[in-house]
Amino acid sequence: MILAYLPYAIAAWIFLWGLYGIVTSKNLVHQVVCLAILQTSTYVLLLAIGYKVGGTAPVFADIPVGTVVVDPLVQALMLTDIVVEATVMALLLSMVVKANELAGTVDPEELRFLMG
Amino acid sequence: MITSIIPLPIAIPLMVAAFISLAGNWIGRRACDLLASATAAVNVWITCSILHGVWSQPQVYWFGNWWPRAGGVVLGICFVIDTFAGMLAVLVCVLTLAGLIFSWKIFEDTENHFQPLMLIFMAAMCGFSYTGDLFNLFVFFELMSVSAFALCGLKTLEPAPLQGAFNFAIVNTVGAFMIVGGIGLLYARTGALNFAQVGRSLGTHADALVLLAFLLIAVGYMVKAAIVPFHFWLADAHAVAPSPVCVLFSGVMVELGIYAVARIYWTIFAGALGVHTHGLQSIFTSMAAITAVIGALMCFAEHHLKRLLAFSTIAHSGLMLAGVGLLTPGALAGFLIYVLSHGVIKGGLFLCAGIVLHRFQRIGEDHLHGCGRGMWFTAALFILGAWGLAGAPPFGTLFGEDLISHGAKGTHYSWLIFIFLFAEVLTSAAVLRITFRIFFGWGEPAPSDKSSRIEERAETEQSHERVPAVMFIPAAALIVLGITITAFPQIRSAVKDGAHQFTSQSAYASAVLENVQITLVRSSEHEEVSSSIIRSVIALLLSFLLALGTVFREQFGRALNFTRSLELGNAKLRRAHSGHPGDYVAWLSFGTAVVGGSLFLLLH
Amino acid sequence: MSARVRTIFFLCSAAGLVAIFIWGFLDLPPLGDYRGPYGNAVVQIAVYERHATDVVNAINYDYRAFDTLGEEFIFFASVLGVLLLFRPTGTDDKGDKHKTKLEDALPISDALRVSMQAMVGTMIVFGVYMVTHGQLTPGGGFQGGVILASAPLVVYLSGDVKTFEAIIASPLIKLAECGGAAGYAAIGTAALLFGTHFLTNIIPLGTTGDLFSSGAIAVISAVVGLEITGGFVLLMKTYLREIVEERLGESE
Repeated sequence: MILAYLPYAIAAWIFLWGLYGIVTSKNLVHQVVCLAILQTSTYVLLLAIGYKVGGTAPVFADIPVGTVVVDPLVQALMLTDIVVEATVMALLLSMVVKANELAGTVDPEELRFLMG
Repeated sequence: MITSIIPLPIAIPLMVAAFISLAGNWIGRRACDLLASATAAVNVWITCSILHGVWSQPQVYWFGNWWPRAGGVVLGICFVIDTFAGMLAVLVCVLTLAGLIFSWKIFEDTENHFQPLMLIFMAAMCGFSYTGDLFNLFVFFELMSVSAFALCGLKTLEPAPLQGAFNFAIVNTVGAFMIVGGIGLLYARTGALNFAQVGRSLGTHADALVLLAFLLIAVGYMVKAAIVPFHFWLADAHAVAPSPVCVLFSGVMVELGIYAVARIYWTIFAGALGVHTHGLQSIFTSMAAITAVIGALMCFAEHHLKRLLAFSTIAHSGLMLAGVGLLTPGALAGFLIYVLSHGVIKGGLFLCAGIVLHRFQRIGEDHLHGCGRGMWFTAALFILGAWGLAGAPPFGTLFGEDLISHGAKGTHYSWLIFIFLFAEVLTSAAVLRITFRIFFGWGEPAPSDKSSRIEERAETEQSHERVPAVMFIPAAALIVLGITITAFPQIRSAVKDGAHQFTSQSAYASAVLENVQITLVRSSEHEEVSSSIIRSVIALLLSFLLALGTVFREQFGRALNFTRSLELGNAKLRRAHSGHPGDYVAWLSFGTAVVGGSLFLLLH
Repeated sequence: MSARVRTIFFLCSAAGLVAIFIWGFLDLPPLGDYRGPYGNAVVQIAVYERHATDVVNAINYDYRAFDTLGEEFIFFASVLGVLLLFRPTGTDDKGDKHKTKLEDALPISDALRVSMQAMVGTMIVFGVYMVTHGQLTPGGGFQGGVILASAPLVVYLSGDVKTFEAIIASPLIKLAECGGAAGYAAIGTAALLFGTHFLTNIIPLGTTGDLFSSGAIAVISAVVGLEITGGFVLLMKTYLREIVEERLGESE
């Protein structure tokens, strides 16, 4: 029973660790990477949802149609998710590099230009 | 035949954006501006034609011709365009057009990356309004967000814009991935991504999984909608984003978050969560009330023009959530009318703030005291905007607020009316206060505080003596558009009929899955606005009095000291808006836990 | 909030979230028990309807092609955003110096150079293979595009700075990126011109298992590959320029 729900527990665990990392981080780059970790929790969740016992990859190049395969939709959703994650990371990290160049620091505690 | 033009509001701006990005340096800045504005104008025309086509009959459009299979299994993606979606798309395109025209005079050095990003932003928001598929909604949400992050961090000569864009990006991305989690859970239960199919499969019973999915998706969209406690990013983003971009943020992006919550509730969860309506009403209306109050208090305590307007957006967002959260067709109609009028008025106010910045190179109320003397037209626009924010006739916000109050009156939530009054008075008074100080030079200069120190580098190179027409006309046009809802009662009755359709889950599902035409329920209530007119005039008077009292406080001695404490704001509340992304995410987790806890209490 | 207060505040909320997640997740179908209609329906029919053996790409580029259009433009918008963030702001005048400094920024290691030189050709061939075989085997435009985009980086690491500079200065990169992005939307609009709905697969489907099968899936995959390649090379160019300028700044 535990094994049947383990991937979901792992997804929740990764999600919460990602959140913890963002909340307690002292470095903007670290925060961005924790955001990426949070995003990977959704991949684990999606793939676990689509899994079928005994199923193989949903590519029928060498297996006949009708073999048990896992759900292809979650994999398609995950591909989209990965592209979204990569692009958001690229943009965020560029912001961090630029902020460092202008303010000389990557510590969020020291970036206090917007307050109140 | 409108079917063939439905994908165009998304496809055309995307193609033109790619073209401008490629050829921008060769065709020159002017040509890019003209091309982008022309595309936005064409989009306004196309979305209006689509709206005209769906005025009496919602349309369903299947991409790739992937019609649903037997048994109601949907393999493709569809657009489901009803009156609500159609009107929101028109609002999006109108605001983008105004912003693009305004930007002709500014941004000397963006290497033609600004116009493609604005076009992509517009296409994403149109797609977001039209779609009928869960994951497609998420994809357009992300497209909207990524363009917004990029546009927000546009001014790269100081660190503040980058901090604002960074906070914006972190908080919104956490929200976005909660949405994906919720979509995954719904998929696990129903094996579908189409709104209608998921709604049908969920049936009428809600267990913990359905509640968790609702929690994740609703919270994710409420982050975008800047509902307290997910709202901290909004003020930071608005303080640093260029004015045309703020128009889009406050005018329609935030409202689309609330629209998404409404759409998802009524197409997917209405059946399953129907028995818990009372509980859901209390949760949403409490969040709405807290948002309105905190937004209004912080609004009056701000002295940076754009942050002030941003907090007023948060307050009004609370009002709009109340419209949705009352879970009745009448209040929902009020929500859309409020969105349409508030969007253009707020957009106009942000453009006016942009005019002030262009003219004086400063944006803090204390620095600008008396500088605007002689700028009568801009002052008039600010005053008209404040009028609209107070919900007074002839602006359309009156009707929106009236319908929502009407919906609240019969239920336990009649206290909402006082919350609305409070929020409207404070936000309107704040705008009036800055008008009196900046454009008339009355009273003493505002108390200076940290937020007005945020250096706003000019969006143009030199300050100018006159306000260019290309900046003034879009601002004036937007504020005047706030009157159209009042001027055309057909719009209001179409919205009310549309709201009845919106809230009918079975009709939606049959239209999408079985191609059954929806018969329109013509709502027969006539408008009873006299009590609202009285209330709104009182609100307007109170806001004038409050603004005058704040500005001339010295003359009245101790009696008006409360205005000073209102203006300085609650210190703890201000400290909470600390600019630290870790704080914001901590509040987000707290809010999720509280809303989740309340939802789970509902089940028992 | 101070760091400690923030952490404690978060941990309390996290405890609540853990409880909510456990409560909700227990109602999920257990692992391996996939019941939903979508997956079962699509694996039965995708091969016959689309003549494509890779069902995941059939979904991505055909059944749900509209999502992939949005995804492609998310990437496009993000590249635009990075270019916007790192645009020359007129306050730095080190533009000419970076060309010579790229050589200095290169890691010097003979082992690296030799292995990279050997890999360039393989990477390009493999990248093209992945992009064109998207409809047959796992792969497709996104994955193949990333591999192709890494090829110029490998050229740089193999020591051939002149070729690298020629590649990144080429206008074809921008053309590939924008052309790929607009091309996807154009393919969809072309379907409109033929009288059907947006993004309908109007290209002849061919035989299953052939390279030129499944109609628009192969074309869209190629177009996406172009865009990703162009986009990533642009990103690489922007980041390298930024790093070199920073090193210049440090050494002065």
